[in-house]
Amino acid sequence: MIIEISHFLSILATGLFLLVGLISFITTDTKYTANLISRTFSHGFLLLLVSFIIYIWLAITDNFSVQYIANHSNTELPVFYKISSIWSAHEGSMFLWIIFIALWGFIFNINIKNDEVLKPKSIGVISLILVGFLLFLLLTSNPFEIILPIAPLNGADINPVLQDPALAIHPPTLYLGYVGFVIPFACAISFLINGNPDVRWEKLVQKWSVLAWVFLTIGITLGSWWAYYELGWGGYWFWDPVENVALMPWLAATAFLHSLSVSIKSYHLRVWTILLSISVFSLSLFGAFIVRSGIIDSVHSFANDPDRGLYLLMFIGIILIISLSLFILRFSMIRPIGNIKRFSKESFISINNIFFGSLIFSVMLGVTYPLVYEYLFDQKISVGAPFYNAIFIPIVLIASLFLFLSVDSKWSRNLNFNFFRSPMIVSIILSIASVIVLIYFFQTNNLTFLISVYVGLLIIFRYCIEIFNSFYFKKFINPFSAIAHLALGLLLLSISFNSLLSTERALSIRLDSIEEYKDLKIYFKDIKVVKNSNHDSIKALFFIENSRGNIVELSPEKRRYRTRGQITTETAIHISPLRDIYITIGDQLDNGNWVVNVQLNYFIRWIWFSGCLMAMAGIVLIFSKRKV
Amino acid sequence: MKFLFKSIVLLLPLAFIAMFYILLTDEDAYPGTDYKTFDIPKFQLENLENTKLIDNDEIKGSFILNVWASWCITCRVEHPFLMNLKNQGIKIIGLNYKDERSDAIEWLDKYGNPYEITVHDLKGSLALDLGVTGAPETFLVSNGKVVAHYQGEVNDAIWSNVFLPIIKEKGMF
Repeated sequence: MIIEISHFLSILATGLFLLVGLISFITTDTKYTANLISRTFSHGFLLLLVSFIIYIWLAITDNFSVQYIANHSNTELPVFYKISSIWSAHEGSMFLWIIFIALWGFIFNINIKNDEVLKPKSIGVISLILVGFLLFLLLTSNPFEIILPIAPLNGADINPVLQDPALAIHPPTLYLGYVGFVIPFACAISFLINGNPDVRWEKLVQKWSVLAWVFLTIGITLGSWWAYYELGWGGYWFWDPVENVALMPWLAATAFLHSLSVSIKSYHLRVWTILLSISVFSLSLFGAFIVRSGIIDSVHSFANDPDRGLYLLMFIGIILIISLSLFILRFSMIRPIGNIKRFSKESFISINNIFFGSLIFSVMLGVTYPLVYEYLFDQKISVGAPFYNAIFIPIVLIASLFLFLSVDSKWSRNLNFNFFRSPMIVSIILSIASVIVLIYFFQTNNLTFLISVYVGLLIIFRYCIEIFNSFYFKKFINPFSAIAHLALGLLLLSISFNSLLSTERALSIRLDSIEEYKDLKIYFKDIKVVKNSNHDSIKALFFIENSRGNIVELSPEKRRYRTRGQITTETAIHISPLRDIYITIGDQLDNGNWVVNVQLNYFIRWIWFSGCLMAMAGIVLIFSKRKV
Repeated sequence: MKFLFKSIVLLLPLAFIAMFYILLTDEDAYPGTDYKTFDIPKFQLENLENTKLIDNDEIKGSFILNVWASWCITCRVEHPFLMNLKNQGIKIIGLNYKDERSDAIEWLDKYGNPYEITVHDLKGSLALDLGVTGAPETFLVSNGKVVAHYQGEVNDAIWSNVFLPIIKEKGMF
């Protein structure tokens, strides 16, 4: 009964959002309609929110007459996972996705005054997008369906790999990032419809876009961290298609933020800014399409049917046609006036846009090529790390070099400075010195490693000098840019060290014996079978001694979940600042030995730290009072 | 130049959309389908009840060979459809794959047994020879020859698009 109330409220909200969309596009903007639109939207959001809260409550109280809850939750689960089970599969996660769009719209709605010229149409665009998704939810993937006549007693179970705190918060964070870009998108459309080039939509959306970018960054970092310890593969990035469809909006969003900072100050790069705002949002939708249409196999993809894919594809198509046609119609309005000065900040940022554009295009190619190939030639191929490395490493390094050069550039002025007295030469000398030390220390002639480290160090030294100058000489510094780019430098360094130093070996160890690997002595102490509430597990115990005589205990596990029969590997990881010792157990061999996979992952924590640091930079910008 | 730019901006994304449309609506594309024809490999395995040995001579004629296991959730989903086929009079032979005998028998008792014979392949040796990668998988066998193979859950759509055309063509069942 209660579920019908929830269902009905969602339908009602759909109606209200449709009304908001119609009012905002049919009527002329007056103070009265602006108020009407704003209020009606808020009411629609509140209805939807109540509907969702009821749904959460039903999940917490194990109401298994709701089919979705019965299939994905279980009486045995802790409350936390009962709630997160809502977004563990297609229907519920779509519901969450919609709630988040409405939430962004609502917060935007109450924060922006009604007399803002762009507001009514922006709210209208958000409403129509909500209507599109709500219809998708209600018509093709209804989470409100009930089981008749009798409900099961216990429910099925949430997928065991999803019973993990990081994964419970990873999807919501990522979704908040994805759909947050509905705000810049809606404002860009509203600006194009409005047709007055003097309206500064860029100022309106900057903080919103940065916030969405922060969520996206944290979401991707969390996902990478989760995959590392939960899936048992080690490593932080696998170029899995679904990782790629999260990376594309992130790249586009990053380029968008750069481009935005130019368009805010002058009328330059508006074509880029608008195109990028459209790209970020449609790439986010594209991600949803890829995951939910079943067009690719991946760890992430939901069980699915092609109708859903078709609906989403058409939806994206309509959004693209409308927004791009508007863009073309208004092209003369946003066309650049005058040229950008050579070696000004603007020029560097437009080069940066081209680099990011090529990265996005190559990822897109990597995602779609196997699909097209399979369609044409009926053979499965996979595009993996070699392809992406070949493209990403050079482009990222060259872009980073340009970043290094751009630190000294000024807004709308030519670069003119004395090279030999600039901080640039100091950073170059420091970096070369460090690289020589590294060559001596690691005895390596791996050119990719050395160049990446060199470029990373250039950026870090350069920004450290900037920060130093700002403290001692009160020189102007943009804290957002400094922190974010320091994080980029750190990321380059940690990825380079990680790929140079990390090693992996599958050992075959007998119980009660010692194997040596690198500087480690691995003593296989014990292995036993443990029965738990919802799974059985084989638990091993290892004592690991490093060269300095420190001993750590690690106990990796292999679990078999009873309800689903699924087998998962629980890794055991010893974390220290520079490296992780990462152990998983495999099968028992015929001679009684166990296969044990040992990985030494260097600097891997630093990779996620860099991600968090980038997100931090965004938070700094949001809370800074000064214009950036 | 401006015209070129505008056209690219509009047409490139639409080309992608069109491409995905073609990929999505491609009717023949049931990934996991394979129409290679080959003989059932030589084997000798116990039946699930452990009452006799089964080899190639025991399974003759036309039938469906379904690879399943009690630990396989998708098999549970597929199960009602197999019961349906059995009730239509289609002969189904089960290949119980890497499964405990007792678990498998309990599973069949609980949900119903669609299989005329179930071969117990604890080590997965026959499955390996057949090219099975997991459960469930289904083979269409005509006079000792495999004529169609599907990896994944067989349901109405798969049955009528992957298997029925071959069945009609060969006049089986």
